[in-house]
Amino acid sequence: MTGGQTPVVTIEGLVKSFDGRTVIDNVDLTVAPGRIVSVIGQSGGGKSTLLRCVNLLEKPDRGRIVIAGEEVFAGGRVVCDDLARLRQSVGMVFQRFHLFPHLTAVENVMVAQRKAAGVPEKQALETAVRLLKRVHLAHRGLAFPDQMSGGEQQRVAIARALALQPKVLLFDEPTSALDPESTREVLRVMRELADDGMTMVIVTHEVPFARRISDRVVFLDGGRIIEQGTPAEVLDHPTHARTREFLTSFDEITDQETHS
Amino acid sequence: MISWLQSHGYWPFHVAWSEWTSTLLDGLLKTIEYAALGFVAAALLGLVLALMRTSRIALVRLPATVYTELFKNIPLLVIISVTYYGIVQFGIKLGVFEAGALSLAIFYAAYLSEIFRSALVGVHGAQREAAQALGLNRWSTFAHVVFPQALRLALPGTNTMLVDLLKSTSLLTVIAAGELMAVGNSVASQTFEQMEVFLVIGAIYFALCYPLSQGLLWLERRVRAGSPLSPARSRRLRAARELLETA
Ligand SMILES: Nc1ncnc2c1ncn2[C@@H]1O[C@H](COP(=O)(O)OP(=O)(O)OP(=O)(O)O)[C@@H](O)[C@H]1O
Ligand SMILES: [Mg+2]
Repeated sequence: MTGGQTPVVTIEGLVKSFDGRTVIDNVDLTVAPGRIVSVIGQSGGGKSTLLRCVNLLEKPDRGRIVIAGEEVFAGGRVVCDDLARLRQSVGMVFQRFHLFPHLTAVENVMVAQRKAAGVPEKQALETAVRLLKRVHLAHRGLAFPDQMSGGEQQRVAIARALALQPKVLLFDEPTSALDPESTREVLRVMRELADDGMTMVIVTHEVPFARRISDRVVFLDGGRIIEQGTPAEVLDHPTHARTREFLTSFDEITDQETHS
Repeated sequence: MISWLQSHGYWPFHVAWSEWTSTLLDGLLKTIEYAALGFVAAALLGLVLALMRTSRIALVRLPATVYTELFKNIPLLVIISVTYYGIVQFGIKLGVFEAGALSLAIFYAAYLSEIFRSALVGVHGAQREAAQALGLNRWSTFAHVVFPQALRLALPGTNTMLVDLLKSTSLLTVIAAGELMAVGNSVASQTFEQMEVFLVIGAIYFALCYPLSQGLLWLERRVRAGSPLSPARSRRLRAARELLETA
């Protein structure tokens, strides 16, 4: 499926527990360049924890993580000598945006370029403006987060995550805190990123969106990958009872995005 | 005009203030010096204490907590006396100025550390995490994400403390610190016009503190509105505006 290309993310035998309770239980996952993997599953299933392990915001107990050919975690230890650089190549978008409230939108997109990557001021500003345009928010560049709608904040957060040209973007329920209109705006931006060939791992409850955008869907339950495959396989013809159970709870959700 | 008021008995003052002008100015200057040095030192020490108190390591937290509780519960007047007279017993003799400024710093650092600590705790943990996820190191995360937000939270309380400290410099009169209150005492004892002298001294304190607290309120509003405080940020926002308009 991926030819001979080096995967952007490789996770092998990942285990993570909190206070002796296993939350990620021997997970393997590979994400090839330009591919989009959606992770679905019940609340508490370990989806956020899995994403947070990828950029080592959470330190796994065991397993191996390789980002773009570079081993960053192995043998129970962080082996990457430059954690900051790893995080620059893995962009993250949070459910609640977490923009920096004391900075304008454009500064939010600039700060990591300036302070983490040492990009010169002028270039950082140009990149920030270009990325705000890309998320259709050039007109809101000087607004502060509390002056923006949820959808606008989340799109700024996406621009911020893109600013260091990450090799992969991780989304943790990017639309769960948003109203339908804002959800549409954000999903549109994500679809455009997908069209541009961005590699993405998306934790989402938007099943119809996941079906359309994903190359692969992973169903995570109780910290284990119960089932994974193409959207058609996992979402339309799930083989496991747990998956079917989970999906029926989404039956009543209409496909909002097709109305945009 | 003044002489007309004086000759007709309408001039309210009995003290020949023009003779005391330079003495008063010296006192005023001293007061400002004590307040400025005392506050800067208290803020620095308070920040260190606050950072210690938010540490994960209990052994780091403990001394800061002990310090804060100790000096919050001892009167400033006692601290001033102990610093000036007491330390001599251990062979350390501080000058009046050093002892005075140090006392203010010791005392107000305890209060400021409380304000700073709650401000640091008040910055949402997710902010730190978002900064880390962007590849900012610990220092950059503190300097560019946590500190500016904590500053916003700490500013109102800090400003109250600064004005309070400025007024508390008057306590330094017990070690004859030469500040405004001490000058007032000396003028009063030489003119025997206690009431008039201290009304004038009070007016001078007011003239000092009121504009200061108003200025600090203005600063608070600016910071809360996210207005740039540094020329570099002003330039950045101007450049951003230009670029965004042509975008
Ligand atoms: N820092 C932590 N300390 C202790 N337990 C945690 C921590 N983070 C997560 N957990 C626990 O790990 C489990 C998995 O949590 P996680 O947030 O990864 O689930 P999730 O699939 O993202 O759920 P949701 O859909 O609600 O976001 C939960 O039981 C949660 O309570
Ligand atoms: Mg989650």
